[in-house]
Order: sequence, then structure tokens, then C-alpha cells
Amino acid sequence: MSDWSQTKRPIPVPDQWTKPFWESAKREALELQRCQDCGHFQHPPYPTCVNCMSIDLKFEPVGGSGTIYAYTIMYHNGDKRFASAVPYASIIVELDDAPGALMAANLLDAPYTEAKVGRRVEMVFEKLNDDITLPQFRLAD
Amino acid sequence: MWENRCKIAISGVGYSKATRSADIPLAAHALEAVKEAVVDSGLEMSDIDGLSTYPELPATGHAEVDGISVVSVNCMMAMLKLPDLTWHIQVGTTNIGGAVQQAANALLAGVCKHVVVWRAMHNPRGTYQNLPGDEAHGAAQFTGPFGFGGPGQGMAVAYTRWLETHDQDREKMATLAVTQRKHTQHNPHAYFHGTELTKEDYLSSRMVAYPFCLFDCDIPVQGAVAIVMTTADRAKDLKPTPAYLAGYGQRLHFEVAGRIGSLSSYMEGGSSSSRLTWERSGFSPKDVDVAQIYDGFSASVIYGLESYGFCGEGEALDFIQDGRIELNGELPLNTFGGSLGTGRIHGLWHIIEGALQASGRAGSRQVKNANVSFVGASAPIVTGTTFIFVGDPY
Repeated sequence: MSDWSQTKRPIPVPDQWTKPFWESAKREALELQRCQDCGHFQHPPYPTCVNCMSIDLKFEPVGGSGTIYAYTIMYHNGDKRFASAVPYASIIVELDDAPGALMAANLLDAPYTEAKVGRRVEMVFEKLNDDITLPQFRLAD
Repeated sequence: MWENRCKIAISGVGYSKATRSADIPLAAHALEAVKEAVVDSGLEMSDIDGLSTYPELPATGHAEVDGISVVSVNCMMAMLKLPDLTWHIQVGTTNIGGAVQQAANALLAGVCKHVVVWRAMHNPRGTYQNLPGDEAHGAAQFTGPFGFGGPGQGMAVAYTRWLETHDQDREKMATLAVTQRKHTQHNPHAYFHGTELTKEDYLSSRMVAYPFCLFDCDIPVQGAVAIVMTTADRAKDLKPTPAYLAGYGQRLHFEVAGRIGSLSSYMEGGSSSSRLTWERSGFSPKDVDVAQIYDGFSASVIYGLESYGFCGEGEALDFIQDGRIELNGELPLNTFGGSLGTGRIHGLWHIIEGALQASGRAGSRQVKNANVSFVGASAPIVTGTTFIFVGDPY
């Protein structure tokens, strides 16, 4: 199991277009960008709908269930902020509610060897400070 | 077929030394490579009237200083003082393959006669790809907090997706690393010339970002390579046997800018780009005598072999076995050693080797009777550029 206790994670700096995402994460009720014309969810946020070119985009709630789309196990300890957690699993998750919207995260509360393509995961929230909470994932029951 | 098929040629190549650290400014490496390419062509420097490059430093968190960590067109112009310079460009996307394609377009348009294209790569001190500072801005706000930014992670996630959806075994990649290192021993300019690699070395090497071990990653070096391009009618009068450009394709593929981990983007970029190259050149994968496929990370070769049509999806790790990619195999691959052998100079070296093989100038690594020479000059997700060079224009 990776030891995350000493990790110094870089703090995300929300901008005008990503603020709703981080505000929803802080409320622990995640919202992703959704096209109001065709219904397509996308992540990271983008200026236009990548499916239909609409500019009518809003953030809408999504459930926390998803699947590991891909992953890597980080062994290189060149980044000292994460060196104490090595080896650790960086995963890419596709949420059931938002097919095609891929989110990066870590697999928490499980040995890194449990990361496999297709494995079911659920969202948990990791508070970094008063402003920023990260959406993260653990194995689904 | 393309109306401009075989109307442009590569007629000169040059290399600087590739060193692990930056002992001299990068501009000096670039100048060395450019001078050598011009000497190889038989031209005088004053004959050069076009300049083209892609100057990006792929490392993050390091200052871009012209002449030190990048070599822009401005920098080259100031060094060369070309009396008849009429055309110059540096591309901001499609990597160095795009710079070569722009040079071909300019020559076809008749706005210049002899173009030099160079790629110079710096190896900064300290870590190569870590997000600097305590904050994550822009696209990094969705990756940096998760420790997702180190060497090769963006490529590694696509590779786990490929391995596990196709039920494949990463140990088969040893064949690629070992075969390319064998080829490297025929390339005196390569960083790993003189250093052998065995299957056991590969299998026991330390993991960097699973599924990538150390020998799946090209080593960052400081160095430069360069080519001279001209029109086919002028090329006939120059010193080397010309390598004619039979066709090219370019196609980036992003479903969402900044999106990571998408194997489908690699595959779409590669198939869209190569489709243009096959159509324009009139060739198909079965016609190819020798292939160079960008290998900054080993898995790029796998996505390339499949998306360009050399084998089916999920088959590439089996395709490279049984001697098929050896110099005397069915599809000799990365015959100069690839980036895994030369060090990280990006795709211009793949283009150089494609040209040398087509024109019979590859020395002890020359593939017998090679005529149709394919190049996939960069990973299709960021820079899908593909080329076919031929020795006999037909």
C-alpha cells in the first residue's frame, strides 16, 4: 500500500473555466462539464463541446461510480514531493455517468497492484486545504 | 496519387555529437549538424535560402533560452548570415515532421531552392518532467496533484490500456529494445553506440512508470541533427544520391486538448496520417522495404505498427518477434537504433534514416535492395506525421 502521508501534492489553482469543478469537489458532490445541446459530458473542461461544437456548457452533477480506463504505476522518485509514496498507482477513470470524460486520480486504500484496466472504483474525496478537495478513487465494494 | 510525388528530395544529412550533459551551448550543436548537412550535400552555405525547425524543449519547468535550451530560426539566422535567405519558418505543432513538410511545401511553391531543417534537443540539469512549484495551473490542475507528470506517465497509461485490452505481455517488448540496440552498433553517431543490451538486461531493469522500464524510455541527451532539402531536378546535380519524397501525411488527433491516457487518440492520429501517405505515394504497407517509427517510448512503435497498417490491432508485440525487424528481416525497423539507441533527438533522425535507406547510403546497416522507405516521425497523439521516401522514383 502506498504511503501518502508525507506527500506534498501541488495545489490546483482553479481558473474562471474550472472553478465550478473545484467548488463541487469541495462540496463533495462532483460536477462535470456537460453540453446543454447534445448532453455530452467532457473532462477536462473545454471551451466548446467536443462532440457538437456547442458553446452552451454547464456543470452538472455526476455519480461517483466508474471504471479504471487505464493506469500506470509510478516507480521513478525524481519528484521529491511524491517520492515517499512510490510506487503508487495513477489511474484514469471513466465515470458511469460520463462516458468519454476521463479523470486522473490515485487509487487509494488498496495495494497499487490492484490497479487493473476495467476494475470498478468509486469516488472518495481528499481534502487538501480549506479551498481545495481532490476527487480520488478506491476500489468499489 | 499526389501530383507532387517524388518532386522533392533530401540531399544531405548532418549530425552533432550527442552528449548526456550540456557541455557547450545547444546552438553550437545545431551549427555543427547544419554545417555537416550542407557539406554532405555538396552545396556552399551561401546556397541555403530556406530555414525550418521545430524548436520546442519537451522538458517542463525549465527556462527556454534561445541558443542554450532551444535553437530558434532567429538564432540560426543570426549564426549563418545567409546572403540569399528567402523563406523561414518554425512550426508550433506537428513537431519536426511538420517542419520538414512545410519545407517541402515551400520548395514546391518555388519560394526557395535549398532548405535546411534541423532539430536540436537540450538536456536540462535536474529533473526532466516534473511540475515546478507548489501549485498546478492550467491543464496540470487535473494531473499534477495526483503525481501524474513524471517521465512517460502519459504514454504509460495508454500502454496499460493496450496491454490489458489485448491480453498481452510487456516482456515481449524486450525484442524491440534488444534489436534496436543491435542496430545502434552500426550507427557511430548514436549515444549508445558501443553499449550492448541483452534480453536479461531489459527484463531485470528498474521500472520507471509501469509498464515502462528504463529501456523503454529514450535517454535525454543534448545534440542536433539536420538535413538539406531541395527539388528533385536540383537534387540530381548534388553530391549524394537523392531520397525522393513519394508522399506525406499529417494529422493530429485530440478528442479533448490535454486529455490523457487515450489509446484511441494514438490509433486515430496514426491511421489518419498514414492513410494520406499511402494514398499520395501510391504504396501500401506490404510495399514497404524498411520502416522507421518514432520510439521516444517503446510503445509508440506498437501504436505505429498497428495504426499505420503493418499489422492488426493487438498484434504488434507478436509481429516484432522471430527476426522480422532485423536488418535482414521482413520489415527492418528503426535501423539506426531509433531514439532508444541515439538518445532523445525526436523524429528528424527517423527521417534521416528513412532517406539514407532509400538512397542506399546507410553503410553497414543498409537494408539490401531497399527502395520504399517508410517513416512515422513522431507519436501520433501529439504529432502524427508520416512519410515515404524512395530511391527510384517510379
